[in-house]
Amino acid sequence: MAPAARMAPAARMARVTEASPGGRRDGILSGGAVQPGDVVQSSDAVRPGDVVRPGDVVLPVLPALRKLLPGGGLYRGSVVATGGWSLLCLALVAGASAAGAWCAVIGLPYLGVVAAADVGLDPDRVLLIADPGPGWPQVVASLLDGCELVLLRPPDRPSASVRRRLEATVRGLGGVLVVAGDWDGAQTRLLVADQEWAGIGAGHGRLRARRVQVMADGRGAAARLRARWLWLPGPDGSVTIADEIGAARSWPGTRSTG
Amino acid sequence: MTPADGAAPRVLVVWCPAWERGTETDARAFEQVVTLVEGFSSRVEVLRPGVCAIGARGPARYFGGEEALAKKIIDAVAGLGMACQVGVADGLFAAQLAARTPWPGRAVIVAPGATSAFLAPHPVASLGHPELVGLLPRLGLQTLGEFAALPAAEAASRFGSAGALAHRLARGLDPRPLIPRPPTVDLSASVVFDPPAEQAEPVVFAAKALAERMHANLAARGLACVRVQVQVICADGQEITRWWRHDGLLSSLAVAERVRWQLAGWRAAQDAGGRSATAPYRLSGGGEIQDNGIALLRLVPDQLVRATGRQLALWGETAIDDRVARAALRVQAMLGHGSVTRPLLAGGRSPAGQVTLVPFGDAADPLFPTGRPWPGRLPVPAPATVYPAPRPARVTDESGAAVTVTGRALISAPPAWLSARGEPWLAITSWAGPWPVTERWWRPGSSRRQARFQLVAEDGSAWLAVVQDGQWLIEASYD
Repeated sequence: MAPAARMAPAARMARVTEASPGGRRDGILSGGAVQPGDVVQSSDAVRPGDVVRPGDVVLPVLPALRKLLPGGGLYRGSVVATGGWSLLCLALVAGASAAGAWCAVIGLPYLGVVAAADVGLDPDRVLLIADPGPGWPQVVASLLDGCELVLLRPPDRPSASVRRRLEATVRGLGGVLVVAGDWDGAQTRLLVADQEWAGIGAGHGRLRARRVQVMADGRGAAARLRARWLWLPGPDGSVTIADEIGAARSWPGTRSTG
Repeated sequence: MTPADGAAPRVLVVWCPAWERGTETDARAFEQVVTLVEGFSSRVEVLRPGVCAIGARGPARYFGGEEALAKKIIDAVAGLGMACQVGVADGLFAAQLAARTPWPGRAVIVAPGATSAFLAPHPVASLGHPELVGLLPRLGLQTLGEFAALPAAEAASRFGSAGALAHRLARGLDPRPLIPRPPTVDLSASVVFDPPAEQAEPVVFAAKALAERMHANLAARGLACVRVQVQVICADGQEITRWWRHDGLLSSLAVAERVRWQLAGWRAAQDAGGRSATAPYRLSGGGEIQDNGIALLRLVPDQLVRATGRQLALWGETAIDDRVARAALRVQAMLGHGSVTRPLLAGGRSPAGQVTLVPFGDAADPLFPTGRPWPGRLPVPAPATVYPAPRPARVTDESGAAVTVTGRALISAPPAWLSARGEPWLAITSWAGPWPVTERWWRPGSSRRQARFQLVAEDGSAWLAVVQDGQWLIEASYD
């Protein structure tokens, strides 16, 4: 299995992928030429630790998502909106969950726990509140007190005052609120701009992996629009970086040469 | 008649099969049964929602024998519209097994002194101790009788304190001899609410701290309690008292949970209307007790035994952060016990079957263990959205006719259009299947024949659909 390197046509970007079947893909960009197989960390990114500590400014995310987020992780006290429920929400919280953070999932009775575990979420540290009822802001505030991460799908559109109160709670307790939906005051917004499934044809094959383009923007440090192609999910259910070019036909794991 | 060593008293157990899974609503409804049994004996011990026990000797003498007493209880519970089974035996363990013996409408009564003979044919699994249950059959000890035949000293030296305990149970003795004289110190813990607490939530909070204090007090003296008495006194003097099984095993959180059940049951009884004169904790003529706060909460450890220690697992148990537990408890107080769940991965073929949701604070094993081969189960990647109940859908071919699957897993035409109920039609760009699944054909109740499909629609969404009995259902979505 030779490592495959592909140069992206996009300006100032060189992308390295390390093709190992079922393995994690790491590394990425920032300027000059990079040798195939290198794992490159951009120097300005905060390197999140492996363990979540109360003093950390940033909660770690999966390596594939680091470049999408300012600071390379989820800033404590911030709200992240994802436009709607999708696997992206789970991928966002998976890194911190794997590093020891507790995650409360509110208003998502149809969460696929197996997919969550495959993405990297630790089911042992998940609390599910399927139906928070009409008093959901109170439920969210209570859970922010105990869990570093709260993944919320609001049952109804919150009023501006409810929103501001929850944002203040998030800031005060140093948690991260990931909203599966829209949230006007969100510091960071991510959404799936494009998606394509690989491995399935007209009556043959099966769903193997999905190649998605994730766009991120936001306010302040996050204002710059960022976009990345990801395998979400990859053939083993995990999240990895996908090639900029190349069709979804060549999903990772079956690629033989570069 | 009864052996002098650990003389096991006659115990009557009422077991309602409907409560195998404990949720708050269940615990609340069980309160009715407890209240009813309280009419026969004032000291009802709630083992867990669905099971309660009373000492049989006194009531049996009053009501004309154990058989008559059991029949009265069964009839009374049936009057509530619930089914229950009753067992009477020497000691709680045997009485529980007797109650669980299927003999509808009749009580199972084990004659005094016949307990060990009654226990002998039961499998060792009834001990309920996961490690021993795995170990003993491998050593060739299949039944309680075979285990009881071991010398007590051997059982203790081979299997440790848990083994010694189990051995006493298997012989029909009480698990631990009681400490005969109650200690002179007061080991109870209490807290006063001033002003009286109107809501259950602060009381449940306080209960956790109280339970911690009580456990610390007991531990400092090397004691554990078999039962804990939860005493709640209201501002107007009425008192709600329950005994809960403890066995030195309940965590502080679990004790707080019992307090919440007790309060919830009491509130439910209040709400059910002031006319039921059977509720023992109601004031006789009280109409204004609705806005009556709780003034005092006391936890009294009952039946003290020597603590034999409890070893926590070195690996595999996620210690729950105190902060997380507090947050979960608070939400449970708001929304109910079953509202906060923890997912447990289980074995299964369908995406919904691979997960069991366990209410926070409860311990449960999945129905089917994970890590076994499940031929024909869903391939990875797993769907991100799994509908708790499959959504009906329509799938048609190019001509608009519904796509059907034959018994030999042949489709009538390639699927071309998809519409979940009430949603617009989507063109299907690619698809795979059918994959036939035939599950548990040997069991008529739970057998299933399905054909699975994966469908990708024009907007890039991917779906997992099944055809069952000619009906298309969407089980999950990969988005």
